[in-house]
Order: sequence, then structure tokens, then C-alpha cells
Amino acid sequence: MASVTHPVREGIRGPNIASADVQLPAVKDYEQVDREIIATLGFTKKWFMGLMVAVLGMLIGMSAWIYQIYWGLGQAGYEPPVMWGNYIITFVFWVGIGHAGTLISAILYLFRAGFRTSIYRAAEAMTVFAVMTAGLFPIIHIGRPWKFFWLLPYPNWRLLFPNFKSPLVWDVFAISTYLTISTTFLYIGLIPDIAVLRDKETNPARKRILAILSLGWRNSDREWRHFAKAYLFLAAFSTPLVLSVHSVVSFDFAMSLVPGWHASIFPPYFVAGAIFSGFAMVWTITIPMRKWFRLEHYITLNHLDATAKVVLFTSLVVGCAYMIEFFIAWYSGVRPEQEFFWNRVFGQWWWAAWIMLLCNMALPMSLWSQKLRRNPTWLFVLSIFINLGMWFERFVIVVPSLSHEFEPWQWGSYLPSWIDMSFLIGSFGWFFMWFLLFVKQLPVMAIAELKEIVAPRRKHAGGGHH
Amino acid sequence: MQGVVGAFHEIDTTCAAIEDLKKKKIGDVTVYSPTIRHELEHAIDAPVSVVRRFTLIGGLLGVSFGYWIAIWSSEYWPLVTGGKAIASWIPYTIIGFEVMVLVGALSTVAGMFINSRIPRLTATTGYDVRFSGGYFGIFVACDAVKAPQAEALLIQHGAVEVRREA
Amino acid sequence: MSTEAGTGVKRRDFLKILGATGATTAVVGCSSEKVGKLIPYVVSPDNTVPGVSAYYATTCRECAAACGVLAEVRDGRPIKLEGNPEHPMNRGAICAIGLSAMQGVYNPDRYRSPMVREGNALKPITWDKAYALLATRIGEVKSQGTVGNVVFVNQHESGTFPGFVDQWLAAQGMPAHLSVDSLAPGATIAANQKAYGVAWPALDFGAAKLIVSFGADFLDGWGHTVPQQLDWADARGKIEGAPQFVYIGARRSLTGLNADQWIAAKPGSEMALCAALVGQGTAAAASEASDVPVATIEALAAAITKAGSGVMALSGVTTADAVECGVMVADINKKAGSVGVTIKPAAAHGGYAGMASYADLAGAVQRMGAGSVPLVFVRGANPAHTMPKSAGFAAAFAKVPFKVSFSSMPDETTVLCDLVLPDNHWLESWGDAVTTAGQIGLQQPTLDPVFDTKATADVLIDVAKRDQALAARYTVTDYRTWYISKFPGGSTAFATALTKATIAGSPLVATTPRSSTAPASLAPALASTAGEFFVHVYPSATLGDGRGANKPWLQELPDPVTKIAWQSWVEVHPQTFRKLGLREGQHLTVETTSGKVTVPAYQYMGVRTDTVALALGLGHTAYGRFAQNIGVNAYDLVPHGWDTSGALSLTASKGKLTVAPDASQLVTTEGSARQHGRGIGQAMTLEELQGGGGDEEHGHSIPGLPSQDFLSGLKSPIAADAQGDFANPDGKSTGMYDPKHSSGMESRRWAMTIDLARCTGCSACVTACYSENNIPTVGAPYQGRALSPSTWDERPGANIIKGREMAWIRLERYYEGNENTANEFSPDFDTRFVPMMCQHCGNAPCEPVCPVYATYHSPDGLNVQVYNRCVGTRYCSNNCPYKVRYFNWFGYGEPERKQYAWPEPMHWGLNPDVTVRGKGVMEKCTFCVQRIREAEHRAKAEGRPVKADEFTTACAQACPSRAIVFGDAADENWTVSKLAYDRRAYHVFEELNAFTAVVYLKKINHPAPAASAKA
Repeated sequence: MASVTHPVREGIRGPNIASADVQLPAVKDYEQVDREIIATLGFTKKWFMGLMVAVLGMLIGMSAWIYQIYWGLGQAGYEPPVMWGNYIITFVFWVGIGHAGTLISAILYLFRAGFRTSIYRAAEAMTVFAVMTAGLFPIIHIGRPWKFFWLLPYPNWRLLFPNFKSPLVWDVFAISTYLTISTTFLYIGLIPDIAVLRDKETNPARKRILAILSLGWRNSDREWRHFAKAYLFLAAFSTPLVLSVHSVVSFDFAMSLVPGWHASIFPPYFVAGAIFSGFAMVWTITIPMRKWFRLEHYITLNHLDATAKVVLFTSLVVGCAYMIEFFIAWYSGVRPEQEFFWNRVFGQWWWAAWIMLLCNMALPMSLWSQKLRRNPTWLFVLSIFINLGMWFERFVIVVPSLSHEFEPWQWGSYLPSWIDMSFLIGSFGWFFMWFLLFVKQLPVMAIAELKEIVAPRRKHAGGGHH
Repeated sequence: MQGVVGAFHEIDTTCAAIEDLKKKKIGDVTVYSPTIRHELEHAIDAPVSVVRRFTLIGGLLGVSFGYWIAIWSSEYWPLVTGGKAIASWIPYTIIGFEVMVLVGALSTVAGMFINSRIPRLTATTGYDVRFSGGYFGIFVACDAVKAPQAEALLIQHGAVEVRREA
Repeated sequence: MSTEAGTGVKRRDFLKILGATGATTAVVGCSSEKVGKLIPYVVSPDNTVPGVSAYYATTCRECAAACGVLAEVRDGRPIKLEGNPEHPMNRGAICAIGLSAMQGVYNPDRYRSPMVREGNALKPITWDKAYALLATRIGEVKSQGTVGNVVFVNQHESGTFPGFVDQWLAAQGMPAHLSVDSLAPGATIAANQKAYGVAWPALDFGAAKLIVSFGADFLDGWGHTVPQQLDWADARGKIEGAPQFVYIGARRSLTGLNADQWIAAKPGSEMALCAALVGQGTAAAASEASDVPVATIEALAAAITKAGSGVMALSGVTTADAVECGVMVADINKKAGSVGVTIKPAAAHGGYAGMASYADLAGAVQRMGAGSVPLVFVRGANPAHTMPKSAGFAAAFAKVPFKVSFSSMPDETTVLCDLVLPDNHWLESWGDAVTTAGQIGLQQPTLDPVFDTKATADVLIDVAKRDQALAARYTVTDYRTWYISKFPGGSTAFATALTKATIAGSPLVATTPRSSTAPASLAPALASTAGEFFVHVYPSATLGDGRGANKPWLQELPDPVTKIAWQSWVEVHPQTFRKLGLREGQHLTVETTSGKVTVPAYQYMGVRTDTVALALGLGHTAYGRFAQNIGVNAYDLVPHGWDTSGALSLTASKGKLTVAPDASQLVTTEGSARQHGRGIGQAMTLEELQGGGGDEEHGHSIPGLPSQDFLSGLKSPIAADAQGDFANPDGKSTGMYDPKHSSGMESRRWAMTIDLARCTGCSACVTACYSENNIPTVGAPYQGRALSPSTWDERPGANIIKGREMAWIRLERYYEGNENTANEFSPDFDTRFVPMMCQHCGNAPCEPVCPVYATYHSPDGLNVQVYNRCVGTRYCSNNCPYKVRYFNWFGYGEPERKQYAWPEPMHWGLNPDVTVRGKGVMEKCTFCVQRIREAEHRAKAEGRPVKADEFTTACAQACPSRAIVFGDAADENWTVSKLAYDRRAYHVFEELNAFTAVVYLKKINHPAPAASAKA
């Protein structure tokens, strides 16, 4: 590929996110790719300390779970009528994060968006681990976690299956499918790269393990041919899947008749929010990573710029959804609906609502400035705010709606307890534990795909580019 | 199996060699490359992968199973909930869709494995660790008689190394 | 109620026949480990069938009314009390306090054996030792010659026992006992004596056209609540020609909230008002004194004249001039000629005969203080708690050398005693009680004593036996034998009588009438006391003077007015609240000359701006785990003074308020007190009902008429979009849903109507539900959650603050009008009481969202909850618009958890027909499905269809207003199917198309009788 200098367009400047014109000028040849990516592997002291912190966080969550199972859910902050709380909020939060990965690796793949190459592996891993985290919360949340398998359609003696009309069962299907597919997707993409590690590996034991993991991949034309096709179809499947998963999660709310939940706008609204928060998390992860792993010339400012545009766009979609919710509440003329939304923004829950609006609607507007879009420090700070804002978005959806339903006599409040908070900490510990283990064992960038961008050696320079 | 393997450092020479080998019809050619390159695809010009059929069949099986399990199990234990129909097609579409994606995607992967003969855990002839790194490789399956011809051709096209596999 | 009962057999055999058997129950009485079998004995008595209830008629002794009750006994243990339908007074109804007697007999804190004081503590001893000790003490007293100064204080009760005690005392040479009742309206009784010549004339609400109550809370504690409430509800239920009701008083009580008009007269000004009404004073003067507009007073006078002989004026005043006031109120009736019409002295209630006054008790306490009392007996009464501190009871009591208590609870008085001879609970005892004059109700044991306790009567006999001088007079083995020997007709007649609710007759020993010589120290005239606020102290509707505080059901039952449980509070008008700059729950110190208490403040628009109101009942320093150290004792504010009848003047003092810095969350079940126009509790006027125009409030052209038909099972509206094969009789078999299925369930549609014109908000239904359905109480101080790994939330009602109360049926109390109450005082607001339980929706929103079919729709229209299948996603509760689903946050049913709700032996009272729900599952009202199935099975066994109105739910059974009706709405023979189409009928949240099975009948708002021209 010949390098394309960015044409100055009308309006918003920088790389076009839907084209392949994101270059890696500083990456010269295949050997450099191998060398630099493999250099990121292997244990370091800093990394180990990070891992310990994550494991500690996870242990906090685990002990909280044992405690809660012994005493009962009463130890959490639930306050009827608010029957769902921190666990569902955090569940939706992590599922949302789990959306960026597959979006980047699948949808952007179909769009041939060049900037995905450098970030998709990390994002995909993030997806898998985020969904692994999210998947725990419905089980933590239910009153009798030891019976959670009753939600699965397993053949049992009475042939009594779950109620397929229940959005929660849709959830079970959506989440488990999503976890399976995104894991497969991650692994398939990894096979050629594991083969690279295998061939560079000198330690025979590790070489053997890698040989098994690489399934004996040997880069033959036949393998590549089917690989490409399979990858294409996986992407084609994952694309609607990504959109469906968070739509289904949103059905948990939209299918009920709770004021503030019962809204047809929820699926698109949730999907946009998911992508929004997912990209924020991608920043949270890749910006330190590119620095510590010295990968600035792989994840260039152009890459960040392009992702920033996605965030800006989704932020606008989400903001629009908020506004439409308020409009519909007013337009519907349904009194419980109107009173509830008033209460959400100006009543009891104003602080949560305004944190949400500030972090998700106001701050991302800074990304209209290209200077900030190309400022890693700002993007990192912003990503933290967006993560916070998105957690509060879910809080604002779940809690205030339940606390202010049809029956005034049963209006209530909610405050997470120390147990809830332990689970929140635990979820981050669990997530980062897996991610840290991943980044030091397997390449955080798709070596094979990077090589697609890097120009191969030629005898007769320049010619032969398709 | 017998043959000659040549390692190339440049892609254009590799392509030239492939096209020449196919013209000369010395034997089956296997090309190794660290990544997918359109140049090589053009040069090899192989038929379209059949993986897509696996995808189609898997998807169809999935969607029908999804609907079936939902409808059958509801009819088997008829319990009225919220005045909804016992077998409600519309919500069951979600089950159908999810199972379609699940089975479809997994059978796609299966298809890929079967067609590209992996997992392959036995040592294989004609492969060199460099082919996953910076080099392209060409393996020509041929007997001892044709081997010198193949070697000559590969060297002529600028292979940095040519080796005979027994 | 077996008639073979009475063949003169010995008590133990008799009890066996009663099925209360006991032998084993008695043995295991004190030991938890032996219990826990389904059938508590190996060889079951002939007439008990395991799993089938026997019902025994007895008489409730929780208050002076002495209603007839049926004890449902299962395998030797009573599990629930119900009103006796044959009883002329309570006609099957029962109140929350009566129902809670179950937790009295099974209370874990009862004394399990006699106790004797050793040092500071009471230690168990054997009965023999106890008798010996008592005998020697009595001997000593006799030898000292001070036997004439012995005091015997008994909780007032009617019937034979008081006479029996007096005989015993007389035989010992001791003076007659003091029969005290701190809840009895002494002033009213005295006034009635003066005016009508009887203590308690019958009140005929049916004949009344206009009821004028001067603080007479006839629906919450004044007199005999249940019978009064029944008559009131029947009268109001007539809708047309229903009596109108004016309530006069500084605080709008539960009774006041049921009034059509509240005249917020200044405390102590009732006299002046009466004077004006009977023409002994001018309206202007009355208005001056009472701060009531002249126009209103004149309007009231006019209304009274208009009502003629239909007037019923009642006085429940408790100020210093209460008796005079009561007499003058009676004059209103006399003047109107309503004596004999609405007030019937002929049919008086005999329950108050021989009652001693507070003044008499105070006299006794004085003598104790003087050190002249050698020996005191206390039984039931708890003066250490129910006498104001200023009476100095504790100090005086300490001066008595030997103090004997017969109480079975460690109450404040008993813990001061030297010897405790625990009495049986009335459910374990023989006895009788006077109801209406000339009628007595018999009282029989329903189980052998749970603990090692003895009926006081038997104890007295045994003690007498040990005294040579008396042995001759007390030859009988026990009180029962003595009673039967005295009973006209002997044992046969007695056996027959036992099966009846009441019988003609009178106590076998006449009660010695007492000439109440009220000593001096009258309560000060209210006006004379110091302080800028009137302090209005009133008995709690649930806890009374505090005797209910040891029963978690009553603690958990929110106060019908304030909806606060497990907590004391002071009611302050919102305007005053704002003036003092208070915030909800902030502590307020109320101080009178007699004492002070510090309690959280509660805004109540039903109290005058110059008045603060406090309920009695809490502030126990003993009395068991459920009562101790909860709230404050409002008696501390009451001055130690009485009216001319000798009754304590509760509202006799002014006081001053000081705002305390700290605050505590109110333990309330109330979310919002306003229904925000959502039409939950709907009301209409008589004109609207009679077809005059539409219903403005809810915009129906025709009032009521539920917008649905109650068709059978699935053909009811649930089928609207779901019938498929199901509603088609020729459809393929659909299991239980099949119209042709042998169970025939599909042909039914269980439904309920609730008449808001009858409901008074008394909340008896709530407690009935707790009793029937094993609902755990969650408010006890030990049931809280962990606030950190090391600290637990030990506030009383901590779970209720978190909104985790489990009441399957709750009583919502909504206010209408008076929106601007923070800035101005207005007595004109309307209250809607709405019993709210699972509505058993046809299209239930909770059902489809459950992932595991734990809740689904049964063929007979029930919304079923399968506890065993529930995994606890709580989605159903989120999706329930009525918010009537309750979650088990803790293991309330697990004895090894600290939140356990039924500490041994309280779990003996659990209903074996209902599961105790486990931790982590959802539960809710089942329409008492166990009763439905029981009735169906009974009918099947007898080879007949279920008869119309054959059975009903626990709430409907208890309801003293008869507001709740349950039945099969698909069968026109059931009452419910007629009521469901009443013109007042409506569904809550009809717009949600849930097609509920519960139909509410709109409340009728009558015009204010004394509406002045300007108002």
C-alpha cells in the first residue's frame, strides 16, 4: 500500500474512520513486527505487582459472595421496591464494555476500517473478559444462586424447561452465545500469531505447548484461504450478534411496564451506549499499554483520532436518546411517566442523572477539537469519566425507575451497601486479572494482520501493488 | 512426501516463481506466507473456499432447533403466563436467532478446520519456521527425477535457499 | 367443642378429649430439641385426625369486651384464633390484638417455671418450694396481724374469677382485690353511671343519624372496638341513610379519620362546646374557649336538632373535668331523646363491673410508700409501666417486704417482685367472662400449658390447702372442678354450654361492687398548666398501654394513623414542624411538669398546631426481647392526677418542646401519603351514586362498573389474547386448563371485593394474614443486616426502614385535600384506607417475566407462586404495578440465622398448611389457596360441589368491618359475584389492563354535617 497523506476535508479533520488510510509509517518490515510485538511478552516486576492488585480485588469480591450466600441478599443495599440494584447495574455495565471488541473486530472488519488492525486484538480480549465478568452478576444477583442452572434449557427428568417468554431467558441465550462466539473469534485470529511465537520459541517445552495451541498452523495458501473465508463469515455473524446482545439486555427493561423502562427506544439506545462505553474502555486499556509496551508507532495518534470520532458519534446518539426519553415522557401524557422523569432529573435522583449527563453528553463534546482527539492524556482522562458516566447511566435507568413506580405508597430509595461495593471492586479485579495474564502470554496485536499493512520486500520497488 | 522447497525474501519474485511453476506443471505447489497477500492469491488463483456451505447449513439447523425447543417445551408443559399465548412466535424469534448464530458460527469454524486440515499435530515436510516470519516459501511436490528442474526454476526466480525434501 | 367433653372426667383426660393433648406437648414444653415432629405425640387421642383442625370455642381476654373466639387447634396446638360467628357481640370478627394472643401463649420470654428472688436476679424453683415459701410469708403476715393491709392488684377482668379471689382473700383475712385496667375509659364509665345508670350502654349505630364524638375513639380502643366497629360498618355500609359523623378533639385519631367532619377543638374546651350545644352557654363563649368558629358550632347545634332522636353523642374526654363533660354530653342525647334509640342502657355491657380506679391504685401505692403494706400480689396488671413516673410506684413498691407476681411475662412490675408464680395464658385456662348483661362466655383451655405454669385460681386453692384453717373450705382439686360443681346444671349442662358462644347467666360468684372513693389530688385544670403546647397522650391502637409490646405481630403492625412500627414518635402539625425548623425524624424533647421524653418528630396534619400527640405502649425497660428498650413511655409526661371518677387524666397537661440535635429514620411503611391522582383509593358522593352526574374525580360517566366480566378461569379476560386451544371447549387436552378436566378448576374465578365505605383502616386483616400465612416479622432489633464486617444494624425496625416488611396485605392510608398544610391549618381533609394485596391479575405482568415458571396462572384464576421453583430474580416484583410481592432477604425461617422470626416456641403457632418460605425466594398473597383447596377437598370427600360462601380468606374472616368479601366471581351464587358489579366498583390501575381479580367499591364521602356557611 502506498502511504496516503491525509487530505484536509471540510468540517472534521483527520483520518476517515471508514477507510483504510491509517498508516504505520514507522514500521518498516515483517521482522520488525515480529521483534517488537514479541518484545511485549514475558513477565516484569511492574506487571506482577499489577496482577497482585487485581487478584486482591477479585478476592474481596469472592469473600463478599460467600458472605452474601450465607446470610442472604439482605446484606446488599436493596430497598424494596428497588429490587434490582448494583448487581444488575454492574452487569449491564460490563456487557456494554464487552461490545467494543467484537464491534471493532467484526463490524469495522466488514467496513475495512484500517485503524482497527492495531487495536482489535486488545479490544477482543477485553470483550471476552468483560463478558466473563458480566456473566457472573446475574448469578450473584439472584436469591438462590445455587439454583441458577434452572435458567438453562437442560434436559431434566420432568422435562420442565425455562420460560422462553422471559427476557431473562433471552439474556441467558444472548450472553452465552456472545461469550462463545467472541471467544472463538479471538482464538481463530490468534492461531497464526501463536504459530509465529511457536517458530520463534527456543524453549522446547513452551514450543510444544505453542505448537498444540497453534493447531499445527503452517501458513500454507490452503490454510490462509479457508481462514480468510471463515473469518469473514464469523465477522458477518458477529455483527448482528453484537447488536442483538445489548438489545436483548435492554429488553429486560423495555419489556416490563415500569415507567422509565417501558420504552421502544431502548435497544438502539443501549447499543449506542455499549459501543460508547466499550471504546472508552479500549482507551483506558490501550493508552497506557501503547506507552508501557512502546507501541506508539503501532497505535498512532491517527488511531486514537479515529476512535475518538466513534466515541464522539456514539456520545451524540446516547445524548439524543436521553433527550428523546424526556420528550416522550412529556408527550405521552402518562402521569406516572412524567412524574418519574421529573423525579429522575430534578428530584430524589438529580445527582446521579447529572453525573450521567455531564460525563456522557457534555465532556465528550471536547472531541470536536482535533487537538484533544490527538491528546492521549486527555483521552485517558476522558475515558475514566465516560466509564463512570456509563455506570451511572445504568444506575439512573435501574434504580430511580423502580423507586418511583405506579404505587405511591411503595415509593422508596436505594443505597448500595459495603457488600455491593465489594462486588464492584471484585469485578474490576477479576477483569484485570484475566487481561493482565493475557497481555504477557499472547500478542496484544495481530502480527499476521499487521503484516498485511506493512509493505513486503520487493526486488522491483513500487510495482505490483493491487 | 517428496519435493523441493524454496525460501524467498521478496514477494514479487515469489509470485513470478508460482506462475512459472504452474505453467511448467512440475507438480503441486504449496505456498507459505507469513500473512495474506493479494499478490499471492492472484498468483495461486485457487477455487473459492467451501466454508460458506458449512455456515449456511449450520445457521439453518440452529434457527430451526431454537424455535423447536422453545415451542415444544412450552407445549409440553402448558402454563399460562400473563395471558400470553402458550407458544409465542415473536419472542421465540430471539431464541431462534441466538441459536442460529451459535450453531452457524461454530460450524463455520468446523468447516475451516476440516478444509484446512487442522489441527495438524504431526511434523510436516516442506515447512520452515521462517515462513511465519519474514520469508515466503514455495513447496513443489515432485519425485527425484523432476526435482533438479524445480530447483533450477526456483533458484532462477531468486530463491534465497532451496532444499530438497525426502 | 365435643359434647362428650363434660362427663365429669378428670382434667387431664378431659384435655385429651379436647385434643389439646398434651401430655407430650406439656413434656416437651420447655425443650426445643424434642419438638419439630409433624405430630407432637406418638399415640394420638381418639378424636384428633393428624392434619385436620379441631375448633374450640373460648372467650378472648385481651380486653374487657370479651369477644367469643374459636381456636383452631391442629394436633394439640392452637395455630390461629378466629372470631366465633355465633357470638352475639363480635359475630365472627376479631381484631389484631385478639389475633396476637397466639404470640402471647407462645411467647419465648414467658417464665418457664416459678421464680424466686436471689440477690438481684430471679431464679427458677419448684412449685412445692414456691408454695412453701408463700405459705410461710402469709403465716408471718398473719402473725404480725397486718394481714388487713395486704394488697392484691389484678388486671381487671369480668366473670367468676374476681369473686373467687375476693372469697379467698376474705378467708385469709385480706381486703378485696383491686381490679385495675389502665385502658378502661374510667371517666366515660362514671359519666354513664351518672347519666344512664349503667357502665356501658349498647351503642346502636344503625339507628343513628348523626354521631358526635368528643374524643371517643370507638374504632380504636375506646370501649369494645370489635362490636362497635361491626355496627358502625354495617350502618355506614347502608350508604343511603348512613349515619353522619362529627369528631371533636385536638387530634384526629383513627376514629377521627373515619369521620365526615373534624372539629379541631382546643384540648380541655369540650365542656364549653357541650354547654353551647345543650344551651347552657353561648356559641360565642364556646368559640372563644375552643377556637372553633361560631358558625361551625351553630351548624353543629342545628345538625343535632335536625337529627332528633338519631343523635348519638359520645364522650371519651380524658381531661380533669372528664366526668362532668361526659354527663353534659349525655344531656345532648337526653335532650334529643335518643336515649333508648341510639344509646341503649337496657342492653348494657357488664364487663366493667367491680373495676377499681386509678385513684384506688394510687391510694394503695401511697400505703406501700408508707411502708404499711406487708405483702403484695400482682396479677396481669403492670403498674410499674402504666403509672406515671410521678406516681413513684417503683420506690413505694420497693418498700413492700414481700412481693408476689402471678404474671407469666417478665414485665416491669414482675421483675421487681420476690416470688413469681406464673399464671397460665387464657388460652390455657378455664374461666368465664361477662359480655352483655345477663350473658356469660365460657373459657376453656385449648392446649396443656406450654411451660411449667399454673392457673392462679389453682395456685390459690393449693395455697389454701396448706393452711389448716382453710383446708376445710378448699376441698376441691382445682378451679375447674370447683367451677363445674357451682355451675347450674352441673357437668352435663357445662359440657353443652362449652359448645356455645355465650349462655344466659351471670358470674357464679357475684363481684363485690366497689364504691370508688376518689382521694384528693385531682388533675390540674388543663388551662392552668405551663407550657406553650398541649401534650395529647393517647393509648396506642395496637399496643394499648404497652401490654401488646411483647408481641412482634403488634409491633410490626404499623399504627393505623401514622403507619409507624417498632418506634415511638411525636405528632407535630406540619406548620409547627416548619416553624420549629424540624426535619423528618429529628428528635424532639417534650417536657411537662411530670417528666420529659425525647422522640423522633412526625408530621401529622391531623393534630392542632398548638398540640403535640404521643402514643402510649412503648418504652419498656423489661417485658421480653420484643419490647425492651424500644421507644419511650409516654406515661412519663402524664401528671399523677385524676378526674372525679378517679381515672388518670391523660390529656391534662401542657408542655414545652425543645429540638434535639440528633435524628433517627422513621420506621414507617408509608412511601407517599398522597395518591397523585392515580385513583388507588377512590371515593364518590351520594349524589353521584344516585346517578346525579358523573364522577368528577375520575371522570367516569357512570360511577364504578368494572370494565371486565368475570368469566370462568381462562375465559376471564386473561384469555383475551391467550385462549388459543385453551378457551375452546373442543380444543385438545390442555391439562388442568381443560374445561373438561375432572378438577373442574377451569370453571371458577376466585375474586375479592373490598368495600372502602366500610373499611376503617383498623388493620386486623394484616395481622390475620400474618397468622394464617406464617409471614415472618422482620422488625425485631436482632433481625437487622451488617453495616460493616463487624457492626450490625440493631435499630428496631431496621428492615422496615429498608422497606423490607413482608405484609402480604397492607393498609395504605392516603390523604386527599389540604395540600397547603405546611402553611395553614385546616381540619378538612379526606382519608382513604386501601387494603392492598396481590390483585391476582388476569393478565398478570409478573408471570411472563419469570424465567423459571415460578409464577403462573392457575385455571381457577389464581396468580400462583411456586416457592420451590423460585430462584429469586425479583423481576416479577419489578413488573408488579401494585408492588405486592415480598422477597425473603434473609433466612427468616432458619433457626440458625439471627434473623429467625419464630424463636422457640413461637413456631408452634405456625400454620402447618403453609410453607415457611426459605431465604432468597419471592412470596405474596395467595388468596389463602390452602383454604380454597381445603374446602374443595372437603366438598369432594362429601361428594358435593363447594357451596357458595362456604369458606373465606383469613383477612375477610377477621375483618371487623366486613369490608372484604371473597369468593368465586364466575358463580352468581357467591356474594362476591354480586358485589363485583356494584355501581361503586372499580379496579386499581384499570388503565394497565391487568384485569385484576380484586374489585374495590368506592368510598362514599358524606357532606360535613356541621358545614358552616363559609366552610
